[in-house]
Amino acid sequence: MIKHLLKMVWNRKRTNFFIILEIFISFLVLFAVIMSGVYYTDNYRQPLGFNYEQIWDVNIHQQGNNTRADKSGPLVSAKQVFLAVQEFDEVAGLAGIGHAPYGGSRSTGAVTVNGREILYGFNRATDSFKDVLGLEVRRGRWFSPEDDAANYRPVVINQKFSREVFGDEDPLGKLLGDSPPAPRRAPEGPREREMRVIGVISDFRQHGEFAAPENFLFERQSVNLPQDRPPAELLIKVRPGTTAAFEEKLGRRLQTLAQDWSFEIEPLSNMRESSFKAHLAPLLAAGLVAGFLIIMVALGLTGVLWQNVTQRTQEIGLRRAAGATTQKIHTQILGELLVIASFGLLTGVLVIVQFPLLDLIGFISSKVYLYSLLLSLALIYLLTMICGLYPSRLATKVQPAEALHYE
Amino acid sequence: MLKNYLKIAFKVFLRRKFFTFISLFAISLTLVVLMVATALFDHVFGAQAPETKLDRTLGIYMLQLRGEHSQMTGTPGYGFLDRYARRLPQVEKMSIFEQFNYKDAYRNGEKIKLFLKRTDGEFWEIFDFKFLEGGPLTAEDEQRANFVAVINEATRQKFFDQEPAVGKTIEVDGQRFRVIGVVANVPLLRLIPFADVWVPTSTSNVKDYRTSLHGPYQAVLLARSQADFPAIKAEFASRLPGVEFPDPREFNQAFSGAETLFEFVSRMLSNDQRENHPTRLLAALVGLIILFMVLPTVNLININVSRIMERASEIGVRKAFGASSWTLVGQFVVENVVLTLLGGLIGLLLSLPILRLIEQSGLIPYAEFHFNHRIFLYGLVTAVFFGLFSGVYPAWKMSRLHPVEALRGGVR
Repeated sequence: MIKHLLKMVWNRKRTNFFIILEIFISFLVLFAVIMSGVYYTDNYRQPLGFNYEQIWDVNIHQQGNNTRADKSGPLVSAKQVFLAVQEFDEVAGLAGIGHAPYGGSRSTGAVTVNGREILYGFNRATDSFKDVLGLEVRRGRWFSPEDDAANYRPVVINQKFSREVFGDEDPLGKLLGDSPPAPRRAPEGPREREMRVIGVISDFRQHGEFAAPENFLFERQSVNLPQDRPPAELLIKVRPGTTAAFEEKLGRRLQTLAQDWSFEIEPLSNMRESSFKAHLAPLLAAGLVAGFLIIMVALGLTGVLWQNVTQRTQEIGLRRAAGATTQKIHTQILGELLVIASFGLLTGVLVIVQFPLLDLIGFISSKVYLYSLLLSLALIYLLTMICGLYPSRLATKVQPAEALHYE
Repeated sequence: MLKNYLKIAFKVFLRRKFFTFISLFAISLTLVVLMVATALFDHVFGAQAPETKLDRTLGIYMLQLRGEHSQMTGTPGYGFLDRYARRLPQVEKMSIFEQFNYKDAYRNGEKIKLFLKRTDGEFWEIFDFKFLEGGPLTAEDEQRANFVAVINEATRQKFFDQEPAVGKTIEVDGQRFRVIGVVANVPLLRLIPFADVWVPTSTSNVKDYRTSLHGPYQAVLLARSQADFPAIKAEFASRLPGVEFPDPREFNQAFSGAETLFEFVSRMLSNDQRENHPTRLLAALVGLIILFMVLPTVNLININVSRIMERASEIGVRKAFGASSWTLVGQFVVENVVLTLLGGLIGLLLSLPILRLIEQSGLIPYAEFHFNHRIFLYGLVTAVFFGLFSGVYPAWKMSRLHPVEALRGGVR
């Protein structure tokens, strides 16, 4: 049966070539869009690790170098900023961080473990950060004043990072990395010391729900000493019922404290919304374009198949006269279509298989990859079958007598 | 001759309406996508108010500093531009201005988001802003550090509800400015002139901005004519090796360029941003368009090929009376181009409401797509190309039908 179908397709190879080409390209387009969609959905379903409700972000643009003339310390210290904010009744909690969640900026680092380089995202946070954002500490503890005296760099990592470096072992108290990392460009900071894990959190996905979960590491940002500079971002937990009017009050207070800086205040939920828009808008645009292409291909394919069937009236009439049932005609037309589609899809799969082989899409997990592959295959098969339904129904209506004296 | 072709073409279109519909649907929507993309491109790079003299404007938009161990890429500082970009030959006017900056302002406890830009006086001579009231900032305002501001229409609406704003004051970023002019909104994607509020550079509360190499500043140069571009670029490039560094151990090389906006974008997209490659960017864009058009083209070829037999008797007759294959190819290609042009027209009509929709969605602040002759021309060219590409193969195949077989009603 299949051998026969193959022969039929081969006999009309020139006509079928363009159909195969069309299915092949459609498959690639569909796969690209579906994979992005599946990737985002998969990311969205993983736990976020923190709570964004009732949190406001204050971005501090610190212009100038904020140093006293005699270089004895900052003109405006972190302590002053914290005290100024905490005096408001609306403030339930306050923390400092290097890069805000849902913000555009980020820091990354790399650590060598057993000769293998492992990349991670990193951030600096204050002792109060865990409670303000509601992080979940799985092992050990979060930063606290007792770290002031530490002669190592205390770090808190997420579970993914812990698994990647330490496997199932308990990471607490262990050194992170084979050797001390290369000195970073912070001339005034203390010499680089080795990093020691003091705690493991479930997760902290700084870039939000749609970004891929990554290895993450927190360093401690101290704000209690007079020489501490203010962090780049403040996160404020506001009491329920706080209105936008508080923004102005807070903004003016901070502005009087540091006149040549500027402050940008934004509820984290707003930042989340814009981050969603930034992630989804391109996907939506690509989806619209792909959707249009697929509809176009479907219409075109229906037209071509219809035309083919009308041209094969004689052949179909002969089969009917020789006793083939309508069911058999159906099977033949759709079977041929299935073979043609399979040729296109096979070529497509051969191309797509190259991506993971050449490591072009390393950030996509194999689960997402396989799932998208199967989904696109199923969709294209379904689509071609739908396109074939009407033409094949038309074919079954051919009357043997009429077909046979066609000429 | 052509009239005959057109007549036949329309007869054929009407014969099988379903197929004509499929073809037109595919062509018009393909061209809608292309035209919306073109309009967006034109919105960013094309000459439109206030950048009306774009054809003779160059800019210095970025600076990369390199040292032994480190590099830093960003916008130039006021000091760098002031020292190395002034008095270039053939430059009529030159302006140094700050990149727009996001600021919060408040009105009766309600937050107003604003983009602030600090400029000098010449900025207002190079760009043609449309003033609704008042006038621009002047060189004198800049010299004396007057706390005056030009605001856009949207900001006037937010602060003063449509009432005249000149003479009133607004508070932005902890500073109070007297409004001296109101201009029509500038779209966000006009990255160089865009802002909500423009104030003199000298009102900046950063004290040491005038000396630094790096900072949030950019410059535009208005040349006498486009022909002077190479000389200006060369002169600016020759000054770069002479840049003096405050700490040569940190950075000792500077990379920058006097360039058009498109060249600037190609620089930002290149590997190390030391040089610009506008032709590569152009090639990539054209490649992207071709990639997008492959599927619609194959689709149209498919439909056309499958319809050959419809025309068998006509081809047979024409061939029997001595028409050459080439004449027939010409006829069918013309037919196809007519069809695509028709689709292009529908696409054009469809893309207008879509562009309005994008404007109103607020995705791009203050976007305003002007449907100009450039976009129409691009659309026309793509439509014709599309028609040629998708028409040639089916036409060639059609013309090869054997006359006898064609007359008989045809084999496969």
